[in-house]
Amino acid sequence: MHELAMATQIVENVLEEAKRHDAKKVAEVHLTIGKMSFLGVDQIKFSYGILVKDTILEDSKLIVEEKDGKIECNNCGYKGTIEIKDDPAYHIPVPTLQCPKCGQTAKIVEGKECTITSIRILKQEDKNGCKQC
Amino acid sequence: MANTKDVINGEEVTLEVKPGTNILELNKQLAEKNKQLLTKHNVKAIDIMGSIGAGKTSLIEQLVQKLKPKYKIAVLKGDLTTTIDAERVGRHGVQVLTINTGRECHLDANVVARAFERINLDEIDLLIIENVGNLICPAEFPLGTEKRVVVVSVTEGPYMILKHPFTFMNADVMVINKKDLAPIMKIDPKQLEGQVKEIKPDVKVAITNALTGDGVEELIKAMEL
Repeated sequence: MHELAMATQIVENVLEEAKRHDAKKVAEVHLTIGKMSFLGVDQIKFSYGILVKDTILEDSKLIVEEKDGKIECNNCGYKGTIEIKDDPAYHIPVPTLQCPKCGQTAKIVEGKECTITSIRILKQEDKNGCKQC
Repeated sequence: MANTKDVINGEEVTLEVKPGTNILELNKQLAEKNKQLLTKHNVKAIDIMGSIGAGKTSLIEQLVQKLKPKYKIAVLKGDLTTTIDAERVGRHGVQVLTINTGRECHLDANVVARAFERINLDEIDLLIIENVGNLICPAEFPLGTEKRVVVVSVTEGPYMILKHPFTFMNADVMVINKKDLAPIMKIDPKQLEGQVKEIKPDVKVAITNALTGDGVEELIKAMEL
């Protein structure tokens, strides 16, 4: 639901980073989105496409990698992927924080992120070499 | 710091920058700051989330009435455009501040931090924050409160927990409101309680009627207030 706000922050962050490196254009933006976040990849891409118009990000490729959720149990030390309960009584598979080993409540340690992992920018080559001279 | 790698590619220089900026982490860091500020001023804070019309404001009215003798309370209310709710809560003689989000579907740690500038934290010891009515987005944005409460009501149907598992994963306390309407809706609140415990076994559950105050004492106990 808040994908537009998130995409705005992504674009702002990339623009800032690009400016810091005197970019002429941004070619690629790599993003990692955790499956435990509330972000829809299609909606992020849609918002991104609108926001980059008339910026140096226009025509850039947004490449999104989705990351699985991981939990860790403080009680028994279990660490692993988040379990999905597929009880036929519910009609829908439901993820759970219940530790599969001891039944206590585990913590999400991975899969909640929305990280700009890398960006590829284009710079005009400086033919004279040093800018200072 | 960003790692950079230069690649010469014909006339142009391609530069790979690795900012590693976690957009959601930025909110978490601000939330941590809020938490530290609240701790410094000895203020307990509760974030009350829940769907539209679940009874968040009615519950807050009940909480304010019952907790007024014990705490000096301020209420922060996230609301898209109006101050209707703020007036309702304000009638009970506590300080109420509205955060009009305009369009945003949730409060975030930043707007709460700005609201702190309008409250004298030394004059209160309990801050109740009512989030924007929405069962999805607020869960992604911790505000820095000690406890997070999610309110649902039986009139929302039997599947609201199963359909929003991620929201309940982020909750410390869950309220099932409008218990008086459960028989009419043919819903067993205990069944909803069982579902939420399957998603998060350590969540505390209070079953309430916010209009009469029934179950509010249990809620106060669940919030450890």
